[in-house]
Amino acid sequence: MTVAVQVLALVMILALAPLFPGVVWRTKSLLTGRRGPPLLQLYADLDKLWKKGAVYSTTTGLVFRLAPAIFAGTTLVAASLLPLDGRAAPLRFAADVVAFAGLLALGRFALVLAAMDTGSSFEGMGASREATFGSLVEPGLFLCFAALAIATDGTSLTTMLGQNLAAVWGDAAPALVMVGASLFVLALAENGRVPVDDPATHLELTMIHEVMVLDHGGPDLALILYAGAVKLALFGAMLVSLLIPRGGLPPALSVAVLVAGLAVTAVAVGVVEGVMARLRLTRVPQFLVAASVLSTFAIMLLLSA
Amino acid sequence: MTWFVAGVLLLLAGGAAAVVFRRRPRLAERAYVALSLAGAAAALVPALRVLAGGSVEGVRLVTGVPGGAWVFAIDPLSAWFLLLMLGAGVAALAYGTVYLAAEAGHGSVAFGRLVFSLLLAALALVVTAQSAVPFLAAWELMALGGYFAVVFDDRRDDVRRAGLVYLVATHAGTLLLFLLFGTWGSRAADLTFAALAAGAGQLGDARSLVFALALLGFGVKAGLVPLHFWLPEAHAAAPSHVSAIMSGVVIKAGIYGLLRVAALLGVPPAWWGWTVLILGVASAVLGVLWALAQHDLKRLLAYHSVENIGIILLGLGVGALGLAYGAPGLAVLGLAGAVLHTLNHALFKSLLFLGAGNLLRATGTRDLERLGGLARRMPVTWAVFLVGAAAIVGLPPLNGFVSEWLVFQALFQAGFSRTPAALSVFGAAALALAGGLALACFAKVCGVVFLGHPRTEDGQNAREVTRGYLMPASALAAACVAIGLWPWLVLGPSVRVAAFVAGVPAGAALELARPAIVAGRGIALLAALAVLASALLWWLRAAALRRAGTTAAETWRCGYALPSARMQYSASSFAAPTLGVFGGISGVSAVRRPSSFETRAANLVLDRGLVPLWRLLCAGSQRLRPIQHGRLHLYLLYLVATVSLLLIYLAAWGSP
Repeated sequence: MTVAVQVLALVMILALAPLFPGVVWRTKSLLTGRRGPPLLQLYADLDKLWKKGAVYSTTTGLVFRLAPAIFAGTTLVAASLLPLDGRAAPLRFAADVVAFAGLLALGRFALVLAAMDTGSSFEGMGASREATFGSLVEPGLFLCFAALAIATDGTSLTTMLGQNLAAVWGDAAPALVMVGASLFVLALAENGRVPVDDPATHLELTMIHEVMVLDHGGPDLALILYAGAVKLALFGAMLVSLLIPRGGLPPALSVAVLVAGLAVTAVAVGVVEGVMARLRLTRVPQFLVAASVLSTFAIMLLLSA
Repeated sequence: MTWFVAGVLLLLAGGAAAVVFRRRPRLAERAYVALSLAGAAAALVPALRVLAGGSVEGVRLVTGVPGGAWVFAIDPLSAWFLLLMLGAGVAALAYGTVYLAAEAGHGSVAFGRLVFSLLLAALALVVTAQSAVPFLAAWELMALGGYFAVVFDDRRDDVRRAGLVYLVATHAGTLLLFLLFGTWGSRAADLTFAALAAGAGQLGDARSLVFALALLGFGVKAGLVPLHFWLPEAHAAAPSHVSAIMSGVVIKAGIYGLLRVAALLGVPPAWWGWTVLILGVASAVLGVLWALAQHDLKRLLAYHSVENIGIILLGLGVGALGLAYGAPGLAVLGLAGAVLHTLNHALFKSLLFLGAGNLLRATGTRDLERLGGLARRMPVTWAVFLVGAAAIVGLPPLNGFVSEWLVFQALFQAGFSRTPAALSVFGAAALALAGGLALACFAKVCGVVFLGHPRTEDGQNAREVTRGYLMPASALAAACVAIGLWPWLVLGPSVRVAAFVAGVPAGAALELARPAIVAGRGIALLAALAVLASALLWWLRAAALRRAGTTAAETWRCGYALPSARMQYSASSFAAPTLGVFGGISGVSAVRRPSSFETRAANLVLDRGLVPLWRLLCAGSQRLRPIQHGRLHLYLLYLVATVSLLLIYLAAWGSP
């Protein structure tokens, strides 16, 4: 029964994931005085791309064709480690949080190699930047995980973000809020959002993630866009689970709260995109290190308690 | 132990056969490989029995000599290292048989094979010796075997220099080991490990001295920062199969020594654990950063060994802290992670060096900037190299992930252990940073060497190497995949070894580590799911494309009319943004000219530390030259003066 609920929650989030980038766009558009595309635009894009053919460069080989499937496959499987119903994940074991990060890293590795497979200096630039910022996001993410592990006495995402969390919220609130802020910054970076990257720009010198996947088209691009949306939803779900412990709620309400929370997170991302400019590339590392510093303080607070 | 002794003798017989039959190359090759494989298999029989929970009788080879009997025995620690050393060692040996045959113009092939066999036999003796005297003898044999294996192509200047640096470093380490066993042995009945363990209680303050000597002496061999300076030189200069065994296996002798001394010394004070942990953080992060700065493939791989030694030390450090603060669960997890990473690193690092050997053979260069597009021309080498790369980065579903996962788990558990060890949780951030940088580094290597277009003719004319080169590398790749997909094959045995080092009964340790061992099944399930999901999506995408059709075209090259392969992102440019973030400590200087960009990487410790220090020492010694002038009567005067001064000292201040 509970497993059925967990799987259902997972399927629901995977189905709703393309909605949230729509919310981000709409928020940003409204803030900048435009109407923006419809909320369901990404669904239409995915449908269109899936039906299209693809152009493959003669330089590319198997890596280029395999990478989108690996990126999407690892992201979807990583989703099964999050306790989306607020209690437990369909798949959980000791230190599964490391496996979560490992799967996301595998997806990134595949995309970076695919970019290098095109032999284009343009995509090489994107790949290089993605690898650079990815390596700075990683320690920040693990500091967040470490803080959660200390707070909840567990190394599994199910204990970190599930039932154990509600019980410790009272004592550890300041630290957990700091972890939340840090996680939000990392979510922006990891998903190629302003102020680290700008998904809207098509100016070569400023692009990171978008330029890396520039040569992909058709179903390959659909897989990348969909997996990107799922990744945004996963980071959002971590943030919502952290800030609103839902262990005590009935499953249906818990999932409803999660969806509402994801929408609010998407609005927050949209607000950041609307009011901030992209940082200069050389400023990005400082921004990411600031996130790590936040979670370091959180760990200090938790350890001294 | 009969199996073991027979195995070592067979290994030596293989080396002898290579020399005896040197006039008949085919026979020599076959006898060499067959005898060595048989020897390694025989020596591993007792090791596997011990790892499965059994026990093996030791042997006393020489008795009645100073320092106690020459005892050889296989306990879980010996068995584990025997497994990884001989396992990766024979793969490198089989590869070297083919590889050296093509190097006949550069040195004596028969001698190269003989020293390799001696090196393997010495390694087997190092990890089974249970007394200081045979241990040091085997250690020295290993060091010298390594030297002669490295300087195979001794007509090249850079090879001779690397060999010299290696020889000096390894002997400095050996001297410290003599000091270690001397200090310890003076307080024990004799120099057998059993007596040393019994004498550990009487060491008092000298116990920390023993630890410091072990850390320095074995640290030189293991190549931890800042004692790593010899490692990138030697490992890059050697023939590829020798690089594989030096970088994958021989440096593990240093880790073995540390673990052995830790097991003999008993429960450590906390500061030992902190020292090891901090050295681990420094080695892991700096090692991978310096690796990222290299364009020479073999130097790059050698620096990655420094990184991986750092990861092993992180596990060791947490383990020691767990023991010091009375948290045996933490100790077992940390040590098991360190021990397992030792095995995994031996597998994937040997694999990567063999891959580098294939590239060197096919293209004649180790310079990343001259390669490109080799995935098409060398598909098997590409496949096995990619497996090794993903494994060293620590990505699932490969073996490197499993051991890094154990170390992460130990670091997180330390966080909520309610002991001062909790601060080591920050090690997780360092490990994650090292992992992210390793991903960037191997994305660079794979992307620049194998993907895109060939940058020069070296890459254009490359052809896949023959089966003899590919089989050993494929076997190592298969082992990496097997451990990644079925982690419980190694989790249980590594916990047994950890229990032995920590002095915890094996049963209790297995109980303490049960969550981790059970979680091994979770990892396997997750890995299988990820593979299945990717395969399913791949199939769906292929079906969609069959309906809509595909078109072939050129890559868009930003509108340039005459695109050239030199316009691709190079290794320098790929690494530049990351190295820029870390500034001076990356040791990189950029050379910018109007139409070129190049980065040069320094060996910071050697070039900016030791060599200037040595020059200073030489200059200082020059000032003492005037007192050395070859006049005998003045030398006699020095002697008389010294003796008189000593006598005066004794008369005035000496005890009666």
